[in-house]
Formats: sequence, structure tokens, C-alpha cells
Amino acid sequence: MAAAGTGSGFVFVRNVCGLFRDSSRLAVLARPQQLSWFHSSSSLSTKNWEKKNLKVFPPQLPEEARRPAEVHHCRRQIKYSKDKMWYLAKMIRGMSIDEAVAQLEFNDKKGAKIMKEVLLEAQEMAVKTHNVEYKSNLHVAESFSSKGKYLKRIRYHGRGMFGIMDKVYCHYFVKLVEGPPPRPEQKTGLDQAREYVQKLKDRTVIHSL
Amino acid sequence: MAMSMRRTLVGLYRGARYSLKNVESSVEARHPLPLVLPVRTKKRYFIPPAVGMKGKKHEDPEAQARAAGIVIQQQFMERPINIACTAGVFDPYIPPEGDARLSTLSKEGLKQRTEQIRQSAASQLAIRKIKEHDSLFSTKTFAEQAQEIFIEAHRALTQFNKEKLHSLVTERCYPEMTRGNRHKTIRWSFVESLEPPRVVHARCPDMVTKGNLYGQVTVRVHSKQTLAIYDRFGRLMLGSEEQPKDVLEYLIIERHLMNPYGRWRLHGKIVPSWAPAKDPVIRTILIPGPQLKPWEEYDTLNHEVPKPAAVQWYK
Repeated sequence: MAAAGTGSGFVFVRNVCGLFRDSSRLAVLARPQQLSWFHSSSSLSTKNWEKKNLKVFPPQLPEEARRPAEVHHCRRQIKYSKDKMWYLAKMIRGMSIDEAVAQLEFNDKKGAKIMKEVLLEAQEMAVKTHNVEYKSNLHVAESFSSKGKYLKRIRYHGRGMFGIMDKVYCHYFVKLVEGPPPRPEQKTGLDQAREYVQKLKDRTVIHSL
Repeated sequence: MAMSMRRTLVGLYRGARYSLKNVESSVEARHPLPLVLPVRTKKRYFIPPAVGMKGKKHEDPEAQARAAGIVIQQQFMERPINIACTAGVFDPYIPPEGDARLSTLSKEGLKQRTEQIRQSAASQLAIRKIKEHDSLFSTKTFAEQAQEIFIEAHRALTQFNKEKLHSLVTERCYPEMTRGNRHKTIRWSFVESLEPPRVVHARCPDMVTKGNLYGQVTVRVHSKQTLAIYDRFGRLMLGSEEQPKDVLEYLIIERHLMNPYGRWRLHGKIVPSWAPAKDPVIRTILIPGPQLKPWEEYDTLNHEVPKPAAVQWYK
């Protein structure tokens, strides 16, 4: 069995060498810009959301449209489940900040209180450091939760059995953008009908006369 | 877990005894070989932490070592702090009222000029002391040098060149210049100098010990400058790039005289109380008002918006 194994291995290696000996592959190797199939930037830090606040844009020309201000804020290692937090994060997506704060204030979940604190902190940051003029002129552009580092504990079962219990933690990220919240496009029935008819007309009929 | 291990051990033991009995009966019967073959249980790849650690929390290895009598040699970490600049402006210059407003040809202007030329005695003393330590110092050339330092420092601030800025500006002035500017774009240019710069004031304070001399010289600079500050998103916050403004400033340049490698660096600025008000920032700022009770109205309360007092600030 061992001998057969090495034999097949030899054949495999020869095939692989043959592949590389191919001229096209050589051409690929020769091109200098193609040598970027290794990962060049190396950083272990995963705290990238906070770094988004440090990006500086070049000064705008007078005829350009005014760029809306963006504030990224997050809270790490919240003692709550990421799945439960998701429901609240999905609720406030697209709301204006006042609306979002009001909704979270009267929500009974534990994560709502923490989320409200995060939003208020972000609003204050925006006004103080990021040159946002009116604190109500912000809306929630992005809001999501992710898994934090869990602690593992033992959950004792009967008959000497045990299970590993996870003490769940989550992170919560929010991005506030200056301006009124974007209005979702209202499609009327007539528009939908028109689109449907157009789709029917755009069909290509093959093998026809 | 433990039960299953014992059961397997017992079974093996019995099996071993049977085989031995069949092969060699007399010798081996007296010493029943235990033949402890520990049969491995299922390998647990996860060992839950903190199984026996419930009671163990207050352990102080230091106290235990001391109780045992072990002496560890303490290494004193001495980090010398080098102070290279003073903490403030010693005896700041008070610029006379209406400094750049009066023309030199009028009577008041001439009077002001004669007063200014004959500097106070303390300044003369200070200049003499500075000349003792720094032989190249001269009131006539120093003003030009000071203006050069000022222009270079502000240019370095626009590029945010930290090393160059530290060499041109003292440690006290650096945070004042750069606070809040890290993520902003500053466009500054020195258009022209309206009047030749002049040394108006000098002092030689000493810090901590008696001989530790620092020289502070105040230079009057009247110039045209343009300033435009853009925030993080490239939106104009203050000023404009095309419109130059006339600026009258009193710059304080400092040097550590005792240090042979000391350099003249910008230490601060004096803005007189009668200077024209600066342009407002291009945004509305909320001034916090009084805390209202539920039954109160803001209109009925006679609340005055506090206006900033016009004081001379030296920074």
C-alpha cells in the first residue's frame, strides 16, 4: 500500500510540474504586476471602525456639492446577545437620530438602553469634533451588531456530563450621516405596470423568422 | 467517566489472570501481576477553565515573598525630565492703545513712536544679559529672524511636519497651535509685511534654580496674511483663501540661554484687547441657556446672552 501511494504521488507531482512548464504560466510569472498574489499589508488590529473617523478628505472646491459629515461610533463587548441586538439595530436603520433615540427610549429590551447611550455619544462627538452644525440634522446610515469575545463556562448536566456555556458579548456599530434621512422611493401601481410591459417588450426571441 | 475506567481495568485484570494461569501456573500465582494498563478515556479537546479556582483569588506573590524572607533588589527607574521652555510669558508686554491705527506723521503717532524707541530699562537689561550668553544677538537683525521663524513655523503647521514644528516652536506653544488641527486642512500664506518687524520688549526670567536663564523677546509684526481652515470633510470652516487680512501681532520668541545648543523658538503671541474682532466661524454654535422648569417659558425670563469680555490674552 505504501509503495502504491508513493507511485501515485510521483505521477501527481509530474502532472503538476507539467502544468507549470506550460508557456502561458511562465508568461504569467514573468509579468511584474502579477506578483501581488501575496497579502502585503500586515496588521493584527481589528479595531477598524474607530479608524474611519481619522480619514481626512481634501478641501472641496467652491462649485462642488457640500460633502455630508459622517461619524462612526461603536461600543465593544456589550453583555448582550448579537442576535438580540440585531433586531434593535435593524429597527433604527434609516431613521433620523431623534426618532431613533425616542424609539429606543421606550423599548423594553436591555440592548435598547445601551444603544441609546451610544447614539447620544455619537451625536455629541459629531457636534463637538466633526463640525456638524445642527445636532438633529443627523440620520442613521449604518447600524449593525457583531459577535464579541465570548467567555466559556461549564454548565453542569446530570450523570457527570457537562456542557460548555458561552457568556455572550457583542459589539455595536453605528454610522451617523449629516442630513435628513433618505426617503425610500414610492412606486405607484402605474409605474410597476409600465415596467412590466417594458420587460415583456424587451424579451429577445431567438430562432424566430 | 471514572466508573467506566474502573470497569475496563477490572476486565483486563481478569483477562490477564486467565491467560497467565494457562501458561505459567506455579510462579505467577503467588504474585498476582496487577498489569495496570490505563485505558484512555475519550480525549477531551476542551478542558473547561476554572474548575478548581473558585476559592483562589487573593494571592499576593509579593507579600508571600516578603514573608518568606526573599529580598529582591529594587531597580529605581529614573527618567530625567528635560525642561526646555518656560511655562508662560514672564511679565507680558502691554501694547499701547491704538498701536497700528495712528499714522506716524500725526502728533500722537510721533509721540507713540518716541515712547516706543526709548524702551524700558528692564528690557535694556534683559537684552544686555542675552548678549552676554548669545554673542550673535542684535536687536536690529533679530526682528527679521523672528519673522522668518514665524513664517516657517506656520508653513510647517500647514504641512503638519511634527519634527520641524518642534524645532521652530516651544513645547508650550505646540499644543496651542495644534490642538484640534490634527484632522483638519489648514491653508495659510504670508502675503507681505506691512511694516518692518521690531523688537519691543525683552525679559530674562529664570526657572527653578537661579542660574537657569531663559530669554523672552517680544517682536511686533504687522503683516498681511490669508488663512482658510477646512474641516475633516473638506468644507470651509473659517476664513477664505483669496481675501488677505491685516494682522498686528506681538510674537514672543524664547531661547534657553544656558543651553549652548538652544535655539530661538516661537513661544507665544499677545493679542491686545482693542484688536478688531475676528471673523465668525461658518456655523451656528449653541450657547447653552438656562435650565427651564416645566412651567417656565424662555421668553418671560430676562436672560441675557453672555458676551465675551474684551481682554488682552497672551497665548
